[in-house]
Formats: sequence, C-alpha cells, structure tokens
Amino acid sequence: MPDQVTLTIDDVKVTVPAGTLVVDAAKAAGIDIPVFCSHPKLDPLGACRMCLVEFVGSRGSRLDTACTVRVAEGMAVRTNTEQVKAVREANLGFILINHPLDCPICDKGGECPLQDQTMAYGPGVSQFVEPKRHKNKRYPISDLILLDQERCILCWRCIRYLEEWEDKPQLGLFERGGETMIDTFPGQPVDAKTSGSIIDICPVGALTNRVARFRYRPWELKKTPSVCNHCPVGCNLRLDERVHALRRIVARENMAVNDEWICDKGRFVHQFVDHPERLKKPLVRDAQRGTLREATWDEALDRVVEKLGALVEANGPNTVGGIASPRVSNEAAYLFQKFFRALVGTNNVDFAGGSAVRAWPTGLSAITDIARSDLIVLVGFDPSEAAPLLAVHIKRVVLRKGAKLLIIHPRRIELAKYPGAYLPVLPGNEAALLGELAAAVQASKGVRGQEARGKQAARNPQSPGPGPQYPDVVALLAAAKSPLFIYGPDVARGERGRATVAALLNLATALGQGDKLAYIGAGANEQGVRDMGLLPDTLPGYAPVSDAAVRERLGKLWGLQPPAEAGQTCARMIGGGVKGLFVMGDNLAALPAVAEALRKLDFLVVQDLFLTETAQLADVVLPACSFAEADGTYTNLERRVQRGPQGIRAVGESKADWAILTALAEKWLAAEGRGDRSGVAPAAAPELPDWKRKKRKAKTGPAAKPWNYPTAQSVLEEIGKAVPFYATMRWEALGEGGLQWSARDLRVGVRDSGLSNTQSPTSNPRPGEFLLVSSPLFWDASLFMQYAADQVRQLIPAPFVALNPADLATAKLAEGSQMTLTSPHGSVILTLKADASVQPGTVWIPATLPGLPAETLGGGRGEPISVVVR
Amino acid sequence: MLSDNAKAEIRALQARYPMPRSALGPALYVAQREAGWLPADVLAEVAALFGLDATEVGEFASFYHMYNTHREPGQYHIEICDNVPCMLGGAVKLGDLLRERLGIEFGQTTPDGKFSLGRVECLGACATAPMFMCTEKFTGRIRYFEELHTPEKLDEALALIASGHGFDTCERWPLGPFRHGGRPDTNFLLARVDKPDSHRIETYIADGGYETARRVITGAGTTPPRSPQQVIDEVKAAVVRGRGGAGFPAGQKWSFLPAGKYPRYLVVNADESEPGTFKDRMIMEYDPHQLIEGIILTSYAIEAERAFIYVRGEYYFAAQRLEGAIAEAEAKGFLGDNIFGSGKKLKVIVHRGAGAYECGEETALLTSLEGYRGHPRLKPPFPAVEGLYGKPTIVNNVETISNVPHILRHGADWYKQWGTPQSTGFRLFCLSGQVKRPGLYELPHGTTLRELIYEYGGGPTDDSGGLKAVIPGGLSVQFITADQLDIPLDYENLAKAGSALGSAGVIVIGADQSMIEIARRTVAFYREESCGKCTPCREGVPWLEAILERIERGEGRVEDIALMLYLADMIGGKSFCPFGYAAIWGLQSNLAKFRGEFDAAIAAARERPVIPIRPIYRPDAGAASGVTEPSLPLEEKYNAPTHRR
Repeated sequence: MPDQVTLTIDDVKVTVPAGTLVVDAAKAAGIDIPVFCSHPKLDPLGACRMCLVEFVGSRGSRLDTACTVRVAEGMAVRTNTEQVKAVREANLGFILINHPLDCPICDKGGECPLQDQTMAYGPGVSQFVEPKRHKNKRYPISDLILLDQERCILCWRCIRYLEEWEDKPQLGLFERGGETMIDTFPGQPVDAKTSGSIIDICPVGALTNRVARFRYRPWELKKTPSVCNHCPVGCNLRLDERVHALRRIVARENMAVNDEWICDKGRFVHQFVDHPERLKKPLVRDAQRGTLREATWDEALDRVVEKLGALVEANGPNTVGGIASPRVSNEAAYLFQKFFRALVGTNNVDFAGGSAVRAWPTGLSAITDIARSDLIVLVGFDPSEAAPLLAVHIKRVVLRKGAKLLIIHPRRIELAKYPGAYLPVLPGNEAALLGELAAAVQASKGVRGQEARGKQAARNPQSPGPGPQYPDVVALLAAAKSPLFIYGPDVARGERGRATVAALLNLATALGQGDKLAYIGAGANEQGVRDMGLLPDTLPGYAPVSDAAVRERLGKLWGLQPPAEAGQTCARMIGGGVKGLFVMGDNLAALPAVAEALRKLDFLVVQDLFLTETAQLADVVLPACSFAEADGTYTNLERRVQRGPQGIRAVGESKADWAILTALAEKWLAAEGRGDRSGVAPAAAPELPDWKRKKRKAKTGPAAKPWNYPTAQSVLEEIGKAVPFYATMRWEALGEGGLQWSARDLRVGVRDSGLSNTQSPTSNPRPGEFLLVSSPLFWDASLFMQYAADQVRQLIPAPFVALNPADLATAKLAEGSQMTLTSPHGSVILTLKADASVQPGTVWIPATLPGLPAETLGGGRGEPISVVVR
Repeated sequence: MLSDNAKAEIRALQARYPMPRSALGPALYVAQREAGWLPADVLAEVAALFGLDATEVGEFASFYHMYNTHREPGQYHIEICDNVPCMLGGAVKLGDLLRERLGIEFGQTTPDGKFSLGRVECLGACATAPMFMCTEKFTGRIRYFEELHTPEKLDEALALIASGHGFDTCERWPLGPFRHGGRPDTNFLLARVDKPDSHRIETYIADGGYETARRVITGAGTTPPRSPQQVIDEVKAAVVRGRGGAGFPAGQKWSFLPAGKYPRYLVVNADESEPGTFKDRMIMEYDPHQLIEGIILTSYAIEAERAFIYVRGEYYFAAQRLEGAIAEAEAKGFLGDNIFGSGKKLKVIVHRGAGAYECGEETALLTSLEGYRGHPRLKPPFPAVEGLYGKPTIVNNVETISNVPHILRHGADWYKQWGTPQSTGFRLFCLSGQVKRPGLYELPHGTTLRELIYEYGGGPTDDSGGLKAVIPGGLSVQFITADQLDIPLDYENLAKAGSALGSAGVIVIGADQSMIEIARRTVAFYREESCGKCTPCREGVPWLEAILERIERGEGRVEDIALMLYLADMIGGKSFCPFGYAAIWGLQSNLAKFRGEFDAAIAAARERPVIPIRPIYRPDAGAASGVTEPSLPLEEKYNAPTHRR
C-alpha cells in the first residue's frame, strides 16, 4: 500500500496519506464538505448523512459518505453536483423539521454548525406543516451540563467522546427511530472529569454549559488564547470575555498537550476571576484598631518596605522569608525569589510541596510519550483525580494500543481496572515495595542479578528479600519496551520520599529505562516555579546555592549575589524560623495549626485574590490578579513554557503578581538609596531610629541593579538570562502552542541512585487503628473551588472518611455515621463512607476537603500517620 | 433483586458466547421473567452482572420492543399484529373485539392485572391472520393464537389463556403446521412437516437425514470426504440465491472469506420480520433438523466451529424447537466436539432477538448479537471479512441454509433443473392477504403470480372486490398490478417489472382496499422499526407517515404528493442501510400506480387545514412568509402523474 494517495475532488488533485478519510482529504484540498456526526477526533460513524458526495466510478457515480470512505488511488469525488446539493438541502430539511429553531435564545446561536450549514447548504423554506415532535428541554445530565433533546440532532458525538476518550459510556441512545434520544441512565448523571468536552464538540446547542449559560452571545466575545491554571498539565484554553467579565472557558487544541479536551475544573471553575469578593484594594492593618482597612498601593507597599526592612536590619536577612504558590507565573516566581535573594539577601524562599518533595526536575519527558509507551507505572499518583487530561491520554493508549498499567498506590484508583497490575501498598511502604521489585527484576536477569540481590539484602535487612512474589509484575516490567515511570508528590515527601524516588530510579535503571522517570507535581506551575529557583537550596536553573560560579553569574545580572547558604524550608519558616513572612498566593492558614504559627510572626504580607484565612492574619494585604487578568508564562509538567496573555481587565486595583513585586522592589531600592525604607522623605521623619543611622553608614559596596520591568515580557527576557535553558523562551517565540525546554539541557545528576532504603517498612496498623491515605480528589475544596459558581461549588463534598467495607463490617461501623478520628497531630469528626477502592487497614481522607481534615490529622507530611476511629 | 438462580442462569448464558456481552439480550429475558418487567433498578443489576455501565444496558433494553422498560404488563400480555397482511386479514376487527372483550384499550392492563393489550409489528403469521401473540409474564413463554376469524374463536382462545392451561405448550394455536402446499415434484423443504413428530431427529433420520452431512464430512464406503472448497464450489455451481431478501448467491458470499483468518462464524439469520414472510418459521418449528444439517454442512464449508441462529424474539416456539433439535443432534454426535467422528467441532447456539425489524439487516444483526443496539454497521468491511466479534462471518437466511443439504445430496445440476438460470431451484412462497387459501407454497422459481394466487391460493377472497395489487416480495418491494399477473416469480423478471422477489412474501390486495391505508400502514411500520441511526430514515419516514395520516383524515393538500415523492427520493439510497429503500419503494410505486386514489382523497379533502407558520430557514429564501404557500420547487419535478422512480 503506498504511503501517499492521489485523488481528485471536484477537479482538484490532492495527495494525502493512505487511510485518510475523503472528508479530510477535501479539507486538505480546500473544499468544504459539511458534516455533523463526523469529527476528526472520533471514529467515523456515517449517521448524519450530511457529507454524502458522489464517487465517480466506471459504472457511473454513487453516493456515499465522505466521512466513512477512505481515499484510494485515482478516486474521483464530486461535491458540487446537483444531486449532492439536493441531498444536502433535503438532509438539512430533515434535521430541521423537528429542531426547535430557538436560535435566538440558544447559547450556540452564532457559532452553531447547524446554523452555518443551513445558511450555506440548507433549504430556504420548510416544507413541514405537521406538528413538531417534543422531547425534554433543559434536561440536566449533570450538575454542569444541560441537555436539550429537541435541539439534539443525534450525531452521537457526545456518546462517542465519552466512550472513545473517557471510556465512560454514561450517555446513551434510548428508544429508537424518531423517538431516539440521548439520555443518561436514571439517577446516574455524567461524571466523567472531562465531560465538558462534549459541549465543545456538540454541533448544535443541545449540550450547554450550566455555568456560562445565557451569559454571552458568541459574536460579542473577545477571545484570548490562554493556559489553564488548575493542574500541571497546562491545558490550552480560550478565555471568552464580554464587558470585562470572563464569560466562559473553552478548550483550545494543542496536540502536544491536551489534544482538544480540557477537564471540568479547567472549564467550569473560573468564577473566582470575577467573583464579587475579589480584593480590589490593598489593605493594611490599622495601628489603632488592629483591623484591616483599605489603603493606597503606596501606603501598603511602603508599609511592607518599612516593616520587612526593619526586621532585616534588626535581626538580619535570614529572619524574613517568602512562601509562594506553585500556581503563580514564571515571572512572579522569578521576581519573588529575586526579591529575597538579591534585595533582602536571603535564600528563604519556598512553596508548600516545594523543597519538601523530592521532585524530578525534568518532569515528564513529553505528554505525547504516553501515547508511545507500552507500560505506564504509576507510583502514588492518581491521574484521574490529580490531572484528568493525563488520565484521558493514558486511557487512550490503553484502549487503542493495548498499553498496560502498573499501579502502586495505597488506594485502588480508577485506572486500576485496566490490564496490567495493581499493587496495593501501605502508605510509607512504597520504597520497600519498589526495592523488592527492583531486586526481583535483577534476580530475573540471572547471575548479575544474584549479586545485586545479595547487596540489596545486605543493605536492607528488613526487606522481606526478593523472591518470586511478583512474577507477573516482573514479567510485565521486563516485557515493556517503552515504559514510563510516573510518581507524584504523595510518595515523594520527606526522607521517605527521597528513599521512594531512589528506589523507583533503581527499578527504572535496573530495566535500563533510567531516563523514563517522571515527577508530576500538584501546582499548576510547579515545574515553572522550580525552574525559577523558588526553593531554599536551589537557584534559578537548578544550580545549588553553593555553586559559586552561578552565584557570580547571577550577581552580575542582579547587581547582588545571592547568599551561599541554603535558606529555610517552608515548614521551618512557618514553624518559627522567621519573624517576617511574605506569602504570595497560598492560603497556608486554612489549617488552624499553621494559622496559630503565623499569628506569632512580627510581620506578615499576603498577596492574593481573596481575603483568605491567611490574608485575614496579615499586616498588609496586596490584591493580586488572577491568571486571566495578567500576562505571564507557565511551564507545564513536560517543561513546556506556554503563554497566558491577559484576557480580561484587572479587577479593581488589583495588579499582576510580577507588577506588585516590581513596584515593591522599586520602593525597596529607593529606600535603600536613601538609606531609608520608610518610604517617607527623611525630612518628614527627623528622628531616625538607631538602627537606621548605623545601617546607612554601612551602605557601601555593590548595589542591586534597578528593577526595570514595564511588562511581563521584560521579566521573561531576564529569566532567559538567569536560567540558561529559558534563553530561547521569548514571548513571541512561544507562540500559541508553547515551547518545551530540552531535558538534555539540564544534566540531572543521578545523585540518589545508590541511596539505600533506610526507612523501616510501615507495619500493619494495630486493630482499631488505620493508616491515613490523603491522595487527592478532583472536586475538592481548594480555594478556586470555594469561589466557583454555585453549580460547581455544590460538587464540593461534605468532609468524609472512606473505609474498606470489610473494615467497616469488622469494626461494626455504619456508613453515614459521624466518627471521631484522632492522630498524634489532631482530631476531626467526619462522616463515614464505605469504599471498596480503599485498602483494608487504611482510611482515605482526600486532601483539601472542607476544613482540611486530612491535613489536620497530619496528612501530606510524608510520614505514615496512624489514625484511631471512634 | 434478582434471585441467585437467575444470576446463575445469567452467568451460564454468558459462558455460552465467546464474548459475555452477547448474553445481554438473553439475560434481560431472564431478568424480565423474574421481575415482571425491566425498571431501572433491574437494568442496573443486570449491568453489574456484566460489568457494564447501566447506561449501556438501558440503551440496549430500550431499543428492543420485547423488553418492557416503561411499564409492567399484565400476567398475560396480548399483542396483536395489525401490519398490512394481518390488516387485510381482519386484524382491525379483531383488535376492536379484543378491546371490547377485555374492556381495555391498547397500552392498558385489566384492573385485575391479568391481561394487558398491545400492538405489534408483523409476527410472521400472515397466512393465519388475524392473530395475536400472548406472553406469560413470569415464565416469559410466548404462544401464537392464530386464525381468529370469528368472535367464537377469540373467546375460545381467551378462555384457554384464562384457564391457566394456555401455555401447556407453546405450539401455535390451533396446533399443527399451518396451510402449506406446492408442486409435488418440488416438495423438499416442506416434505416432512406433516409427519407426526416431524421435529424429532428420528423422523428426520428415517427420511435419510444427516446422511448427506455425514457423507460429505467423513466420506462413505469408497467415496472420500469432500473438502470444504468442494462444498463451496457445489453450492456456488447451484447458484443458491439468498432467501432473506437481497438474493445474493450464497456460494459466492462464502468464497469472500479471507484465507487463513480464524475463527470464523456462521450466523443463521432467523430474524424473519419482513411483513408477509413466514417461511423460516415453518422450517424451524416443524423441521428444525433440516436446518441443522444445513448448518453442519455450511459450517464445514466455511470452516466455522461455532454457529449462531439469531431467531427473532417472538419466535419463542421455534427457538424451543431448535434448542430441542440441537440437543438431539448433540446426543447423536452430529454436533459437538467430534461430529460424525470426524474430529471436527461444531457448537450451535440459539440466540433470541427481542423485537427489532432492523436486526434482519446482517450487520445490525451482528451488532445485536454482540449485545448492542441493533444499529447497522459500515460496509465495507463486509461480514465475510470482519463480522461477528470482528472475525470472518457468514450470515445466511434459514431457507438458504436449508437448501444446502438438498444441493449436496443431489448435486448442483439436479437443483438447477428448476427455476431459471439466474433464479435456480425451488422457493417457499408466502401467500397472504386477501386470498382464499393463504399459506406457504413450495414451487420452482419462475412460477407465475397468477398460478400462485389462483391455482394455489384459490384467487382473491369473495369480499375483496377482485384483485387490485400484489406485493410480491415482502412489504418493502414495489407493487404489481392486476394486469401484470403473468410475471414469473423470479429475480430477473420481477426486477424487469420494477419490483423485486425479496423474501417471496406475496401479499394480495383486493380492489376494495384503500391504497392510502396500505401506504400509511406500510410507512407506519417503517417508522416504528427505524433504528434511528441516520437522519433521512429517522426524520423522513415519520414525516411521510404524518402526511399520509393527514390525507387519510381528509386534510390532504395538492402539494403533498409531490412532497411525498420528493421525500421518498431523498430517503431511498441516502440512508445508512437498505432500510431507506425498503421504507419508500412501496410508497413510490403506490403513488405511481394508484395515484388516482390519492388525488381523489385530496380533492375530497375538507376545508384546507390551518397550516402553522412555516419557518423560513434562510433570510434570503424566496418566499416572504407562511401566509401564502410559495410554489414548491418540487412541484414540477415530482408532479408527473406517471412518475416512475
């Protein structure tokens, strides 16, 4: 079979790859063949009959559907004959007779393929004088999507999407003939996590977005290509704005990242952008009354400069620090760490889940590698809940190419139903299990393996020793030609996390696949903030702070060198290591224990969208913009740097993170220049305190260079100088699809490969005690969810704890009852749920539930937590 | 909650198929028998047993007429066929009588929950019209009650059902094979049906049954066994054309199988649903071993080790008889792991459909057999290349397969002594409608319509006003008029006359019968049975029905005829599967040949109905509003009275 096939469509000769559908070949030839059921991402169906064209053969011409026929050499197709026109007109007539024609009140009106095709190919007037058929209108198929069965033209696109991509056949055809309708099974709403994709691909207004419904007319929208800010996949999306409000979000195609799908969080959770409770002005704590009051930007920033400066000068730079959120832009993260390193003079910068997590700095080799792999090993990572688009890609390669999954997780996650193996593991035992697997793989390799096994056994006497415990798993691993090893933050925290990652690397190396290890973080820009050096021990570009050459290089760029000693981690800063703290975009105080610690600070600055629990404790609150209101770049889990341009006007006086930091730095530098950080002219403050006078005299030597960043793009330009592998990441060069930096540019030292597993395996919990599992849940109570639209907010579950049904039975506990759970860290009351996916001996309390029960009990610290249920 | 027994039964059903999902249909029968009907919770329970999403089971169940997903029927659910042949045989009167006797309307259940009443499409009992089928709710048993010509007969049938003994047997009531006959020299397929215990293996063996299969597969005496290719060649030489409707030569179909691809499957299409057709039923009910020998030979020829008989769900008794016959043949070693001691394997599985005409289309049948809604699939790939479970599959009609033993017993030349070169052999002609002796007649291809209707059928009934029209090949083909009765019943001559032999269901229509009613009832059938997959059929056929109903009500418009011709033109050949043609051929020829009746009805129409505002789809469309009728562009093209398409 030749690779390329030449055919003629309406006298246009076109050459396309063999196997191309005629409808796609026509597109290549610039000829429009109208379609409804056909979709480039879905299997051919041939149901709507809209694409009937004439195939000219030796025995005359025959009609057939261009969406189901594949090209053949010498094929001749006619799309412009009288017959084809007549058939199109008739077919549109058929579709329209029972279509309600309520275009004036239909969300799709204006961007509706049915409208467009009726205009282009349809009959002028209806021939239909009979009563129309009636079906359900405004029919909810989930909390997020409405179905109008009358508008539906039964193209099956939604059904096929859920079947072919989500493997969740939750929409089906019910009844038959003219009564056929798309429906859910009674009582079973669509809950696929990318369900909103069916709205995008619906060729009529049958499926509408309940959050965005009636909030726009398509032709009024200003559309901005952007990047999602919810998880590290970095799905491409489009922000649709009308009169300065974000009306809706739709998916944007990027074949390297999200194909053309986005998850329901990315699509529906956007009301936080223009939520009425957004901070619109800076706030400062009133000295007299002790409460927060509105202030001007000048006043607020002056207060920060003054107070932080005072702490620095009184107690040294190491008594202040900054904690940022891993969802802020690269520009914000870069300037944040630069502020502390170059101006304050400390390496005290970190983010929650930053230095505490043993992250593999190069992320995933490429998202498209998923489609090329034959085995995906998931260790402590649940894509379905944490990064649904990865789950979509993984399901696709499983369903279409027969890839296998090896899942090592304390919970039987959704993907565990697919071929491969699921190894349940008690939290904390991952390293031991991976060690055993690596040894078993070595052993299966023969003599050389024998030696390795000996070493392994010597190193880790507690390990039960390699044996034929997992023959199937070892065979699965050995058979894989292009495996991927993916782990998540849950198994990479703390010392145990280091051991787990080392063991996983050992395993991958033992299979000769050491370069296939991938870490997938939790924050939307976690890769980017790490690249930017938002870590206490790492400079921009992953050089350790001890690297004098890099410090010198940065010193030339910044005017001042960063300190050589590592800064404090997030936990230490919160735990009393600093007196002054700058928190950018993270609501640390949502956890009462942290709030208690933050109260002890001398000075707290919070930069955020809302008056969060943390902001309420702050001395100065700086109103920041959301991702939709500010230019910025974000780096996703495959090191793809993508643009997120400003899509709507900033709310109130809020400013982009990078702009706030620039303004602050300018004031800081000005104060420094004057030898005065109070922000007021020296004349206005005649009595200078002692520390200032002393300090002023000491002010000699190198000075920080001015911060001249009129735009985010100018920050990105400097990032290119600070981080070698960002040198080519210019705003224009990124284009609409982004650019990946090459993992080869970053030679990752395999420093930990020989690290032995020093952690004792977790023992089975005692009767009545359970090990806490706090892996994430998609619909959680994270900040954006709390400020989402009502339809979305009701998806936040009431706090619960899930146990294996067998455990419930043994402990004689009833589902639905309220139980007190106690751990060494705290105690919470939760509703009991039975869930067979939870392993016996464990309790699952998802991360970030309302009230943060899992975190209160000590979840997410990288240590096994034993919980008593009463 | 399903009982443990039911669950075990469902699991056993799953084990019968290469893919458990195929057992979904049979499992729903089990569940329906247990629960009385199929509400959502029962469907969800079945879904759990299959590891399917409940949606998948829900959409499957709601596709098929015989699964009661909307309401629980009475203890005895009576469904009357009023499709065209039955309508001609007095089904409307029977319906009125039934409603009066039971005191309920269609769709209702008697207050005591004993009887419920419904309508159903053709049940394959056209020669024994009027009739109804009755389903016993908690056993799932189905029995046909036929020839209910008089109120007394109906009362007798109802009394039998009410007595609780109505289902002591599921054989048709009255018992025994219905009227049949034919030429003595072509009495092959129906040769045994009158014998006592005609369905038993002993009867068949005594008649030389299974000897042909044994001889072909194992050889006899000095005759060596024949190779599968030789069998295919023999059948190919005999030019056995498919008896299901399309008339594709069976041997040729078999030779499309791709070499070296296994497993292969044989699927026997016993979904006899074309109105006017009831021949396969007779074979399966009264001579099932003939079919099984055909299956053995065909499976041998195509090298299949599994054969499925997809029997329409309403043919409960036929399915019972087939199961019995298969058990007998297995016991004798004619089926199983070592057929005739040859080492060859063959397992035959009877699969009941559940009421969907579309499943007679071979790809829809396969989809249905795999446990999905009976939607047709794209061709190519053809089933012979990628059929059941994606494997090479041959789908043949019951009568086609039943011809195979005769051909291999006597040879292709013997077979070709009857009929014409392109329509060889003999045929089961199903004669129904307004004729004195409706029934099943086995005659050579090429017998004229006149001979069939007058010589065997005794001519039109006395109250018919004489013969007006004949539908020669099942409801989906074009009409033949009284002046065309000398047409020989074969493929080529009927094609020449603008019709088709189809499934050889010959329906006779009397002069007093309204052709508008025929047209409306025909289109109603296709509207009811459209699978809903493609636009022209799903939307166009109900539109045609609405127009015809309006004309029948006396609200026809002059432009309706052109509109109907236009719609028919835009359905036929534009739809996904041949169903589109089937739905409109009858109407097209009806309008061409009996246009006068339509014109008269329209001319006599009452005041013109108030037409709602007709939407203008495009602002640039010629006419401004619906106040006055714009002249239809169709008018000119479709208004010629002698229009023949």
